[in-house]
This record gives sequence, structure tokens and C-alpha cells, in this order.
Amino acid sequence: MTAMRVDAKVVMLGKESVGKTSLVERYVHHRFLVGPYQNTIGAAFVAKPINVGDKVITLGIWDTAGSERYEAMSRIYYRGARAAIVCYDLTDSSSFLRARFWVKELQTFEEHCKIYLCGTKNDLIKADRSARQVDYHDVTDFADEIGAQHFETSSKTGNNVDELFMKVAEDFSNSAFELMPEEKGVDLGQKKDSYFYSCCHN
Amino acid sequence: MAADVHNKGVTWDAPNGSLVPVDRLRSERSDSPTPGLVQGTEPGAGQEHAMFMHAQSFEDLAAESESNPDSDQAEDQSVLGESQEASEKEGEEEEQRGGAEPEEEQKDQPEENQKQHQKQKQEVQTGVRGKEEDVTSEAWRRHRKHVFVLSEAGKPIYTRYGTEEALSTTMGVMMALVSFVEAEKNIIRAIHADGCRVVFLHKSPLVLVGVSQSSQSDRELSRELQYVYYQIVSLLTLTQLNHIFQHKQNYDLRRLLAGSEHLTDSLLRLLDRDPGLLLNAVMSLPLSSSARDVVSTSLQAAKAKSLVFSILLAGNRLVTLVRKKDQYLHHMDLHLLFNLVGSSSSFREGEGWTPICLPKFNTAGFFHAHISYLEPKSDLCLILVSTDREDFFNLSDCKRRFLERLRKRSAYQALQEAVQTPTYPVSQVGIPELWHFVYKSKSSGLYTSPELPVPYQKEEEHERLIGLYRYLHSCLHHPTRPLRSVYRCGDTENLFAWVSTITTAAFNKQV
Repeated sequence: MTAMRVDAKVVMLGKESVGKTSLVERYVHHRFLVGPYQNTIGAAFVAKPINVGDKVITLGIWDTAGSERYEAMSRIYYRGARAAIVCYDLTDSSSFLRARFWVKELQTFEEHCKIYLCGTKNDLIKADRSARQVDYHDVTDFADEIGAQHFETSSKTGNNVDELFMKVAEDFSNSAFELMPEEKGVDLGQKKDSYFYSCCHN
Repeated sequence: MAADVHNKGVTWDAPNGSLVPVDRLRSERSDSPTPGLVQGTEPGAGQEHAMFMHAQSFEDLAAESESNPDSDQAEDQSVLGESQEASEKEGEEEEQRGGAEPEEEQKDQPEENQKQHQKQKQEVQTGVRGKEEDVTSEAWRRHRKHVFVLSEAGKPIYTRYGTEEALSTTMGVMMALVSFVEAEKNIIRAIHADGCRVVFLHKSPLVLVGVSQSSQSDRELSRELQYVYYQIVSLLTLTQLNHIFQHKQNYDLRRLLAGSEHLTDSLLRLLDRDPGLLLNAVMSLPLSSSARDVVSTSLQAAKAKSLVFSILLAGNRLVTLVRKKDQYLHHMDLHLLFNLVGSSSSFREGEGWTPICLPKFNTAGFFHAHISYLEPKSDLCLILVSTDREDFFNLSDCKRRFLERLRKRSAYQALQEAVQTPTYPVSQVGIPELWHFVYKSKSSGLYTSPELPVPYQKEEEHERLIGLYRYLHSCLHHPTRPLRSVYRCGDTENLFAWVSTITTAAFNKQV
């Protein structure tokens, strides 16, 4: 028996200090921690069950560190992910360049991963419109081009956060349903659970 | 694009790693987590059949420290004790101290208890970076201990105070000094001038420089620089460091270290305040031996093939450590782990999974640490160190099994109670007039020390106290004239230190 039954792997990507951790914190713990910035070390994992229709889907969320130091490691976090939330800071245009980089990475290595572009710190824009450095329409165009969903959120106020993760869960639920028939049935030719028992380090 | 450069320059990533058991990836999984390392030579490898053992006595943790023969010379026990003269003298002491103390930048409130202290520590360490100091100011110059790290090309990598950019010329001069002396096949170790000691440590590809106005010896300062060096290696591995600088000599390492400055800041603060780093020992949580045994066996039972070390911490105290047979964890590596956990709130958010190099074990490769608190509000933090970067879910399961067993055997309650009272007053040892002491058991690599009494609770007094212990320690472990016991009458307190061969402890009383 395993403790963690995770249906969908979701990975958070984006430049450091765009607010990936805050987004997860808001969604999972419904809180926003004010205080000095603390960067994530490596990555943090949280499992979060969510109701979609009459089903419960558990999202396994990987909150990765934005620091370049961990970049080479990042692939282990997004590999096999069903959804990637690529974050950028609405008030920092360089963070959007970084988001484009992640999108390219995902398209190259993880074509089955659905991409969600997420502009963070929406509240700052609402307080002062001139703070916006990433144009809304530029992003929607880009999102259309790559077939991604686009959200603008605020972890401080909670604006759009639940909607974002709900959409992720719904999309997964729908796609999982489509895929179901293929994965059914037992392949007798295949070795039983060979992945788990193979001594791959020898 | 920035990231592309990085990708080209640093090829230590294995092309495929996954935390998800996806069947199709099976064939790709034989890659070593760190290329350049043949599978099987990475840390902890080759111990497939080894039994999991409980480090009962913890003895190996107090292993030799290469740069610092101190502990080797130490005999079985060393006791550093300290008593204070009658309290009527206190008023006058305060004055003396006030005048003598150099300005401190990060002023904490006097800590009431462990928890609050911890909280403040976090505030300080994240806050300090924010306010940039003017490096030409007198206040900047007056910091008691500066630490600089630079590359061999003279590029700034780290400064304890101020910004690296502002110090690029200063660091250029430092590098010039190092190169100038080395050109004649000599090594520059230290410069003494005007009440300052400038200590150099050249650990290719890095150069570390410490500037101190304290009474610390060159050896001690150099040892602290080593800690800083290992801190950087633990983030990147030496292999990667060498690789980077071989390819691009003037690489700006700050890019890769971004966000880790607070780890080095916090390490330097530990060096100033934690006697453990001085004594090559860690502090253990006071806990009944039966409860500790239950915790240890529960931790022992939660094993996984890739798991090398399991460490349970309560704040900055060790509860227990379980290791794979024949694998030893050096105290320096353990301190780096303590520092990582203690200075990051990041692990409270979920289950942490991070690559970490334990440089005393092996500077070439990464371990992967699963770091999580047993409960969201708890101080109990479990570190599971694994060799396999794809083993996250296995380790997560280890943690679950450990917790389950702990609860079943009702040891959890005892443990939680012990965490509530991590310290004890000095009066508990029953020696009148004794103000504070530190006792290290060399065989176990553990030390114990009561809570700080009132006069030492202020930050600068705390550091002064550590300074006194440092002095005693240096007398006991002097490279050429080590002493067995020391007694010194000071203006404000009397000091006594003793290295004993038998398990006797003695403390001084008031004069």
C-alpha cells in the first residue's frame, strides 16, 4: 500500500521569485505569507485532492526552485508531468522571457504535458496599472500559438488561483477519460511490474 | 539566452531522470545522477547488501577533521566550564562590555526561548540582504568579521556584507596578492596589520579571504573559511565547480549561487554562535534513552535501498541518526545539513527534495535529500539522504512508515514532550555559581550545554561567550603546546577548561 495516490503530476516552472511557491501556498493552504522572500531549495512536493464533478482527483504538485542552479535537475520534476504551470511575473518582463524558455523545453521534451501560462502578482497591476510590464494580448497570442491556457492570478488576494488549478484538474479528468480504454487490459507478454523490481543500477 | 549558456557549460545533468514510475522510461534509467561518475562510484554506492545500522554511539560522526587536528589531540572528554563572579559586579561589567563591543549589524532581540530565537534568526538572515550597505562607509569597515569569496579570475562570488559588485576592485586586489605570492611558489596565508587579520585560503577554483578584527587565530579563521568553501561545494559539487571554471575562467558564479547567499550568511552566524562547530560536535535533544531507542529502531525499520542516512532533528538538535553500514557522516557534512534545514522555511511548505553534495563524504556527486517536517507546526524535521534522485516516492513512503511506527509505539508523545523542553537551566547540574558550560563527549561526537543565562542572552554577549570558549579551546588544542587544563580569572568571569581521559567532569566555583 502506498500512502500517496497521485493522479496527475503538475509541475510549477518559472523564473525565481515570480511566486510559484506563493501560488501553491495559496491554493493548498489558503494563505499568503507576507515576509522576506525565501527561495525554494530543490523542489517541494504537495499532494492535493480536488473534486471534479463526482470524482476526486489528486494533483501531485511539484513546486520547483527557480534558481539556475537547479535548472539541470528540473527535468526530473517535469518529466511525465500531465500539466505544467509556467509562471511569470506581470511586473517583470524578463520573467516572461524565462517562461518562453520553459515552454520551449516542455515542447521539446514533454509533448504530452499541457501548458498553463500564469501571470502572477495581479494585485500589483490592479493597484497601479503602469506596473504592468507584460502585455496581456501578447501573452494570449503566445498562448494561442502554443495551445496553452492563460491565467492571471494573485496569490495575495487569491484572485483566479482556484480557477487555475480547477482547470488543470478538469482538463486532466477529461483527458484521462479519453485515454482510459487504451490503458485497460493486461499485456501478458510484459514482465510483471518490471519497473519496480529491475535492478537498474547495476 | 542565459539558460542555454548554462546548459552548454554544465553537462552534469543526466538526460533523463524522473520521479514518476513511467514504464516507458525504464530503459533510460541506468544513468548516473552525476555524469563523470561511473555508476557505482557515486556516494554510498556499492552498499546494496549492507545492513542498515543504527549509529549507537555516534562515534564516527566525530571523525577526524583534516584541516583541524584539534579533535584528534583531544582526549576523551573536554569540558569547558565557566563561572561568573558575584552579581554585584554586573553593573560594571555591562559598561565595559558596552564600550568594547564593536558595532553589530544584525541586532536580534535577546532570545527568550529557542523558538523565538529561530524565528528571529530567519527574519534577520533574509532581511539583511535587502538593505545594501555602502562598502565605503565606516560602519562597513567596522564589521568584526568579513568573508569574501572570489574566483581565480578575481571575480566576486560572495561577500558577507555589502554587495559583490561594489567590491570588485577590492577583490581584484585580493586576487593580485594571492597570485603575486604564488608566482614565487609561495602561498599567502595571512596578513596582520592594524589590528586586522587577513586570512587567505586558496582552494582552487575558489579563493576565500577572511578579514577579522577579533582575537581569533589564523588557523581558526582559516577553518571557518573552509566551512564556507564546503558550503559552496555542497550546493554545486567540486566536479561542477571545476568544470565551469575550466570552460570559462571568468564565469560569474553568482548566477549559479543565486538565492543561496542566506545559507552562507547563516553558516557564518552559526560559526560565531554555535559551539558545536568549534567542537566538531552536534548538540543532542535531551530525551530518555528508552524513547530514543524507539525512535531509532522505528527509523531503522523504515529503510530503502538507496537510503544512506536518516537523520531526525528537533530544531538545531539531533534526535537520532541512522546510517547504512560502513557509511559515515562527517560532522562537517552534518553541520551543513543542519544549516540547510535551519535557515530555510522552504521545507515547511511540502516535502522537500533537493540535490545536496556532502563534501566530506564525496565532493564529486550529489546525494538527494528528502526533507520534511513530521507535522506542519512541529520542530521535528526528518532528513532522508538517498543516492538515487528518482527515489522520491520511496523515501516519502519511508517517512510515512516511520511516523506510523512511531505513533503505534506511542513514542511520538514522549518525543513531542521532549521537543517542548529542549534546554535546561545550568542550575540543574547543581553547581553553585556556575554560569554556563559546554561538555563534549568525544566518543559520541555530541555535546551538551545549558540554556544561556541572562548576562549572555544579548547577541554580542553570546558571541563574546563563544569567543571565550574559543580561547579555551585553542589553549587545549594548541598545535605545539596543548594544555590539559586551563584556569583563567577574567574581569567578568572565571574560566576553566579541562580535557579528561576518564569520564570525570569538573567545574570551577566562584573565586
